Amino acid sequence: MERDDMRAPLARAIGLGSAKDGVQHWWMQRVSAVALVPLTVWFIAAIIAQTGADYTTFVAWLRSPITDILMVLLLIALFHHAALGLQVVIEDYVHSGTRFAAVIVVRLICFAFAVVGILATLRIAASPQII
Amino acid sequence: MASNYPSERQRPLSPNMQLYRPQLTSVLSIVNRLTGILLSIAAVALVIWLAAGAAGPQAYAIVKAALASWTGHVILFAFTFAFFLHLLGGIRHLVWDTVHGFELRTIYMSGWTVVAASIVMTIVAWVASFCMGR
Amino acid sequence: MFRFEIAQGKASMIIKSSSQVSRNHVFKRFPIPANFGVTKESKIGRGKSWPAPAEATRTRTFEIYRYEPDSERGPHMDTFEVDLDDCGPMVLDALIWIKNKVDSTLTFRRSCREGVCGSCAMNMDGTNWLACTRFITDMENPAKVYPLANMKIIKDLVPDQTHVLAQYAAIEPWLQSRTPVPERERLQSVEERGQLDGYYECILCFCCTSGCPSHWWNGNRFLGPAVLLQAWRWLIESRDDATEERLDKLEDPFRLYRCHTILNCTRTCPKGLNPGKAIAQIKKMMIERQS
Repeated sequence: MERDDMRAPLARAIGLGSAKDGVQHWWMQRVSAVALVPLTVWFIAAIIAQTGADYTTFVAWLRSPITDILMVLLLIALFHHAALGLQVVIEDYVHSGTRFAAVIVVRLICFAFAVVGILATLRIAASPQII
Repeated sequence: MASNYPSERQRPLSPNMQLYRPQLTSVLSIVNRLTGILLSIAAVALVIWLAAGAAGPQAYAIVKAALASWTGHVILFAFTFAFFLHLLGGIRHLVWDTVHGFELRTIYMSGWTVVAASIVMTIVAWVASFCMGR
Repeated sequence: MFRFEIAQGKASMIIKSSSQVSRNHVFKRFPIPANFGVTKESKIGRGKSWPAPAEATRTRTFEIYRYEPDSERGPHMDTFEVDLDDCGPMVLDALIWIKNKVDSTLTFRRSCREGVCGSCAMNMDGTNWLACTRFITDMENPAKVYPLANMKIIKDLVPDQTHVLAQYAAIEPWLQSRTPVPERERLQSVEERGQLDGYYECILCFCCTSGCPSHWWNGNRFLGPAVLLQAWRWLIESRDDATEERLDKLEDPFRLYRCHTILNCTRTCPKGLNPGKAIAQIKKMMIERQS
């Protein structure tokens, strides 16, 4: 918890001073959470309805414009929320300088997966009728 | 103070997690975090599923077979339970953010409600899924 | 105690007895070994077992954390048999009995013996509370007495509070004024005074901070519930003019936002205060000045 140094306790408690920042992260976590409540409920209901569906049914479902929109919104909100949450988890438990690398990696991976998911959705939606 | 005498041996730290009683407050909080991490993995699985769908019927069949396997079902069940715990726990958090529900009795009642409702909703979701699959 | 509950329209829970808070539990400890992940100097060994007094009929076994800084030994657990007919009803009474009758080297802080000074805060049967307001009959058998969790230990049950007190000083817990000093008192309405209820009563025992997992992992930078409760007390102090600076100093991913609303603090407060709620109110104030 404390380094073996000769700093006064008050100086140690103040540390490098307040970052004067942090509300945005907290706020965006809440905004994405509020968005995720209806989006995930829709998603769970939709895939329950999709149980046992074959490829054609799956593609037809994703071609519907509402499904498209909701799926893209879900992916954006989901990966934003996940990135923010995982960043907090890393900051909580990793205290060395590695935490910066870990946070960058996690954020970039979340961004990448969101892009892959959105592109896959759009691809299916825009694909020509087959079979 | 110890910090003025660097030659002094470090003071022992009293036990924390090894000793402190697990309470609904701390347990439900760590469950919310663990389910969150699990759901991040579920999010990746979702993208894989969508990407397989975009890649074509063969890729999609592989993913579908994996999900339909016994291991796949167990993982999906875990994801569902984690999802409902995190959803209801998250809603509980959002209510706290409006500065409501902080009385100790309410904290405990809402906590047990989250646990009970998650179990019920997971069972309902899976029963509904089985009915759909028939 | 004259409090403006009616003006506030809500009841503050200043509890008078530990029997008012439920002690139900399923698990006594997390299922990890007793010395899991601790540093070499913090490992707890087995200590001495003191015999029961010969003429005692009703006894209770107490396992107490001991540490002697002047000895080569690390911390260890000593076992005492306390004659319940010879000592008062509270755990503090048992500790004093042990110190008087059995082992005078047992060291602990104490003062008021009525739950208002905060000196005897310690971890009893896994939860933090004041020893002077915890009934012996509410304890397990054997009763386990440890110092406050996650604190550097000076001796036996005496924790080093230097850091948490420094964190308290860091929030500048005094009136800061930009207005000229008034002729008489600084005026405050009944409602404004009512807003301090539930916050000014904190006795700085640090039961809450010591029980906060976020403070365990990030205590060097996270201020903790006790300090943040007082930070809120000064934020809503109507006579204070430094709200802007106070909020600036608190807005930090670690100082304030390591709080994840775990709520161990509210659960363990021996005065029935609500640090979790105070922190939620600080976060709300943070958002309100953004929009």
